Amino acid sequence: MSGTFMTTRAWALMLPLLVVMIAVIGWPLVDTVGLSFTDAKLVGTAGQFVGFENYAKMLASANFQRSLIITAMFAVISVAAEMVLGVLAALLLNQDFKGRGVLRALMILPWALPTVVNATLWRLIYNPEYGALNAALTQLGLLDAYRSWLGEPGTALTALIVADCWKNFPLVALIALAALQAVPRDITAASLVDGAGPFTRFRFVILPYLAGPLMVALVLRTIEAFKVFDIIWVMTRGGPANSTRTLSILVYQEAFSFQRAGSGASLALIVTLFVTVLALAYGALVRKAAGSAA
Amino acid sequence: MSALEITNIRKSYGDVETLKGIDISLESGEFLVLLGSSGCGKSTLLNIIAGLAEATSGDIRIGDRSVLGVHPKDRDIAMVFQSYALYPNLTVHRNIGFGLEMRKVPAAERDKAVREAAKLLQIEPLLDRKPSQLSGGQRQRVAIGRALVRKPNVFLFDEPLSNLDAKLRMEMRTELKRLHQMLKTTVVYVTHDQIEAMTLATRIAVMRDGKIEQLGTPDEIYNRPQTLYVATFVGAPPMNLLDATVTGGALSIDGTPIVLPLPQTIKPLADSQKLVVGIRPEALHLDEQGALEVVCEVAELTGPELIVTGRSGAQQLMACLPPRSALAAGQSFRLGFAPEAMCLFDRATGMRCD
Repeated sequence: MSGTFMTTRAWALMLPLLVVMIAVIGWPLVDTVGLSFTDAKLVGTAGQFVGFENYAKMLASANFQRSLIITAMFAVISVAAEMVLGVLAALLLNQDFKGRGVLRALMILPWALPTVVNATLWRLIYNPEYGALNAALTQLGLLDAYRSWLGEPGTALTALIVADCWKNFPLVALIALAALQAVPRDITAASLVDGAGPFTRFRFVILPYLAGPLMVALVLRTIEAFKVFDIIWVMTRGGPANSTRTLSILVYQEAFSFQRAGSGASLALIVTLFVTVLALAYGALVRKAAGSAA
Repeated sequence: MSALEITNIRKSYGDVETLKGIDISLESGEFLVLLGSSGCGKSTLLNIIAGLAEATSGDIRIGDRSVLGVHPKDRDIAMVFQSYALYPNLTVHRNIGFGLEMRKVPAAERDKAVREAAKLLQIEPLLDRKPSQLSGGQRQRVAIGRALVRKPNVFLFDEPLSNLDAKLRMEMRTELKRLHQMLKTTVVYVTHDQIEAMTLATRIAVMRDGKIEQLGTPDEIYNRPQTLYVATFVGAPPMNLLDATVTGGALSIDGTPIVLPLPQTIKPLADSQKLVVGIRPEALHLDEQGALEVVCEVAELTGPELIVTGRSGAQQLMACLPPRSALAAGQSFRLGFAPEAMCLFDRATGMRCD
């Protein structure tokens, strides 16, 4: 079979997907780029060309800068916590004990739940009048009076991060658990004979096998955390006092609440650019990790 | 004082008993090979000695103390694994010195020990490399180096040469033998390769179904196998086994007119007792006056010898003959052997009876 024939056939097979991708991603993206250089409103006029004015305005705005910081905090803290929790859970579930299979299946549950269900569930837990968290903390004597966890700017972001961690650490745990199964039994045995303690063993025996897969989890989770929208929208809508307004929420508000399609588009493209840079940087990291682990 | 004392070790996984009472006593400097086919329990026994598995009952003493319940690192042992088990992100130098590092040996002393071991194993130029940059043979040398620097009471080897190609395996075998001669260490070595067992061991324990079938020197295992299993497991091509019956104070080979005299040394046997006569193929030689008349079926020239498969009446046998023996399929010839080359086994029990 000739190479040309194979190439032609490959393109032919990919064509339907390419058409769909161009239609649902390519064209809107191009349209958004066009839109971002105009002062178009969501309804009504097509808008005038304004050059880079939208970009300059958005980058300079205090709202954007604050949202960027909130997004970065949300992404860094939640992803870091998910990585630690996920690896710890995986190490635990890799031990030999009765009921391990059931526990492994149960662990997937938070991740398998739709985000909206998870968010609603946590809203109930955080409820200022009958929430389980308030009840538990007051009954344990750790809290004097019920608090509105999602209603106070000081606690809302933390409360969101906890909810997001609970939902997403199982993914990290799942990836880590799969990687742990690949650690050769002989190396673990050798480290026991050599006298390595649990921490040394983790550092020199387990981590080399965990690093590559964890890097993939890190990339996936950071990009998703940076784009976070749904869990926040359901729980706080970016409030209180915009204290949980991440970039995606800001884009939504700009484009749809304030109906400024032009500047909303420019903001969306700025977020896209951030995510692309993250993806490329992590891609390079993953390739490096894969190279050194071989 | 024995270096290693294994007393009545048993191991069960649920209802399955994989070790059924193992007793071995090893003097300092001995090279013991645990030989057996897969599933015979040899690796389980090694893991129990190392402390990587717990025995269900019995005792293990290393040096002068029982090591039951003692952590592997405190047993004064070092182990070499089939898969080398090197730490992938550490250099060769650190891999070799890892056990010493964990025991808080000062860096200078550690470096000296690592370099000595590396010199002995001829891997000095590789000390700064990572395991992924080494060939299989080099990796196994590093793994051996890691065991050597520890200077333990007992070395444990778990099929260390199985992952190497045939040529390298032979080289490493010689290397191991040389190391053992030089260092006079106590070794327990697990393998299913009988050549490794014969060449390396000072004593071999042939294992089968969780029991020791025979424990003896390579010479005893090869020339005086105590059971039919040992007789057939060790030796390639395997020992010829001819069914025979005691008839009137002599041995009549079943299905043939051949009658062999019973050895003088044998204890009295009842008439019509069923036996198996074992003769190694290499103990047979062309002899016009020989007792065995054979028709050649296949003659295979391997280079150093001619392996002849033939038939004598209802019985099949093989002989390793000099390469220039002019024999072809269909040809009839006679084979002789020295009386002491004959092993007699009770057909019912499989036990040696002379």
